[in-house]
Amino acid sequence: MTHLFGVLSTGASALLMQQRAINVTGNNIANVNTPGYSRQKLNLETATPVQSSLGLMSFGVTSTGIERVYDRFIGVQLTTENANLGRWEAQRSMLDRVEVVFDESGGYGLNQALSDFWSAWQNLSLNPEGGTERAMLASTSQGLADTLRGQYADLEQIREDIDRAVENGVETVNRLVAQIADLNRKIASTEVSGTNANDYRDRRDLVLKQLAEVIDVRSYENADGQVVVSVAGGRPLVESGNTWKLQTMTNADGRTDVLWPDLNGAAVVVTGEISGGNIGGWLQTRDVQIAGYQDQLDALAQGLRDQINSIHAAGYGLDGTTGTALLIGTGAADLQVNSAVLGDFDLIAASATAAGVPGNADNALAIYDLRTALTMSGGTATFDSAANTLVSQVGYDVQTAAANAGHQADMMTYLENYRESVSGVSLDEEMVNLVKFEAAYNAAAKMISMADDMLNQLMSMIR
Amino acid sequence: MRITQNMMSNIFVSNLRRQTEGMLQRQEQIASQKRINRPSDDPAGMGRVLAGRSALAAIDQYTDNIKQGKSRLEASEEILKFVDELIQQARSIAEEKRSAGATADERALAATQVKEIYDQVLQLANSKFNGRYLYSGDQTDTAPFSRDAAYAATYNGDAGGFKISIADHVVVTIDADGRNYFQDAANGGVNIFDELRNLADGLENPDLTVGSTQIGATVDPLQGAHVQIMNKRSEAGPKLYRLQATEEHWSQVRTTVQNAIGREEDIDVAQAIIELKNLETAYESTLAAASRIIQPSLVNFLK
Repeated sequence: MTHLFGVLSTGASALLMQQRAINVTGNNIANVNTPGYSRQKLNLETATPVQSSLGLMSFGVTSTGIERVYDRFIGVQLTTENANLGRWEAQRSMLDRVEVVFDESGGYGLNQALSDFWSAWQNLSLNPEGGTERAMLASTSQGLADTLRGQYADLEQIREDIDRAVENGVETVNRLVAQIADLNRKIASTEVSGTNANDYRDRRDLVLKQLAEVIDVRSYENADGQVVVSVAGGRPLVESGNTWKLQTMTNADGRTDVLWPDLNGAAVVVTGEISGGNIGGWLQTRDVQIAGYQDQLDALAQGLRDQINSIHAAGYGLDGTTGTALLIGTGAADLQVNSAVLGDFDLIAASATAAGVPGNADNALAIYDLRTALTMSGGTATFDSAANTLVSQVGYDVQTAAANAGHQADMMTYLENYRESVSGVSLDEEMVNLVKFEAAYNAAAKMISMADDMLNQLMSMIR
Repeated sequence: MRITQNMMSNIFVSNLRRQTEGMLQRQEQIASQKRINRPSDDPAGMGRVLAGRSALAAIDQYTDNIKQGKSRLEASEEILKFVDELIQQARSIAEEKRSAGATADERALAATQVKEIYDQVLQLANSKFNGRYLYSGDQTDTAPFSRDAAYAATYNGDAGGFKISIADHVVVTIDADGRNYFQDAANGGVNIFDELRNLADGLENPDLTVGSTQIGATVDPLQGAHVQIMNKRSEAGPKLYRLQATEEHWSQVRTTVQNAIGREEDIDVAQAIIELKNLETAYESTLAAASRIIQPSLVNFLK
């Protein structure tokens, strides 16, 4: 086979392969900024050698296919950490909004409302029959109730927003799950013929990563190259081409639950088993943090109501009435000043005795003494300190979420860079390759033209 | 390690973000002059600031209370001083007119004078402060004393006192029971109104000898009345002193608490500006490095 035409066919294979390599390089350059893209390389190998008069020798170059450069372990880690990032980011963004509700740094808020309320009792004690003092007391009481109610309502609003966010999150999950199943099918049908479905795989990795950001999932690739994705304690979401669609439902507390359909189509509540991703973060914020703050506001509202009412009811108003409740309501959500008191300030019971009306202020002073009484947290905190603790606690939670989100973001940057280091496109590298393949292409062309010259030379001898 | 262009830009982006975040925070601190702009800036510090603010509000309230208490004591002092002068006047009338030499006309004139004094004392005992009767106990909207045509005084108030809280669980009570000031007959004191009436009765007695005895009998009780009023006035002295001392105490504590709050939430401007400057330098050098490193690639050198 060591004839002149052999040189031509060797040259032809070289031209073809170098050009193909330039195509791959071009594709790499084109996708330098494509998210999730793994650089590809053309695997070149010598053509199958044949026995010639000179011994075993191969004529030309061939390729075994285009392969993506990829580290599968980094892919798994990216998915897991992205679920953590999604969780903390979601928690931080919601808690940032909670923090605004409790922002006391400007001097307005529960702390101020309580201070105003206590001061009003003091002022009333100095002038128990004073109309101004009574009006002040009524309005500061209203201010206190409004603050508690307002903060509770703001938290409720955030909880409702979280419910909407969870619903949107579940829609995103279903959309991404459908994409994964679709890609699974495409990869299977492509790879059955032995070629690598590089781009589909890249896209599937990217979608998996996006899915993990929304909800924490476990995934593995089965022997057919198809991923199996499971959620909430091993419940399947994707198995080859099959998908399970998550649903949402408003539960008895008015909160949105996440449901997973079992094999019989019956929906199972899995809210408690989702711990990562945006949805996990939202649920955690809604059901643990915000619910906790609301409980504390409730405890504060109920404590104030019970303690103040029990003293207030024992006292006597300017008109001699007794047994009047000052604050009414079941908790922070509906705490209000008794409308009878708002309609008639004389009902405010400053006097401890019927005979002491109007000048006696012992009852006002007794209510004021509640300021320093250990009435909250099982007798360990005052109303003021309980309110302050709540603000500090919100601060801690925001700080923790922000620190974790920051840490997680750093970790993602590190992992992305590691992935980039393995799979990313380096323009310098690609340029070098381009020059390399171009040179090889030119040389192969040169070889063909030289063989052509030689053939011409040969032909001219015949003439 | 294999380095790609994206790695470099990723690292630049994340560092620039960190630096701009830091600069924004310092700018906010410098603009607001506060280190804590939201609870998460320093949750523990925020807790201390809030506790300090509650303490400040209470201190301000106590200081206000003390001011009111002082005003009331001072008002009462002025009234009692005047009452005392009137009693002295009545006593000197009694001493002058007890002698047999005082004529019926002189006595009649003196009697009108004493009745005048009686009504003046009654008017003073019915004084108001901030719209409330000072000496009627808890019945602050009822005039404490009234008299009938025969100059018999009755007390319409009760035994209540004026209470001011000057610290947590510390209440100073100022006696507001008018009987203790003007009518303390029950406790061995002097019923000032009765003695003044007796004096007037004595002065008006047509029987000059019996009248003289009656007049003479009021001299010692009126002296006792002077002592009684003086005792009440000196009772106010230590209270006033206590209020003043507590007020000073609060003004010192206020400064301490305010300083403590300031230390928690106020910013060290010099330090913040230096930190901002450092961040700016870092930011600018990162940008400079980025512009040098990101731009060139082999592409620029291939011709």
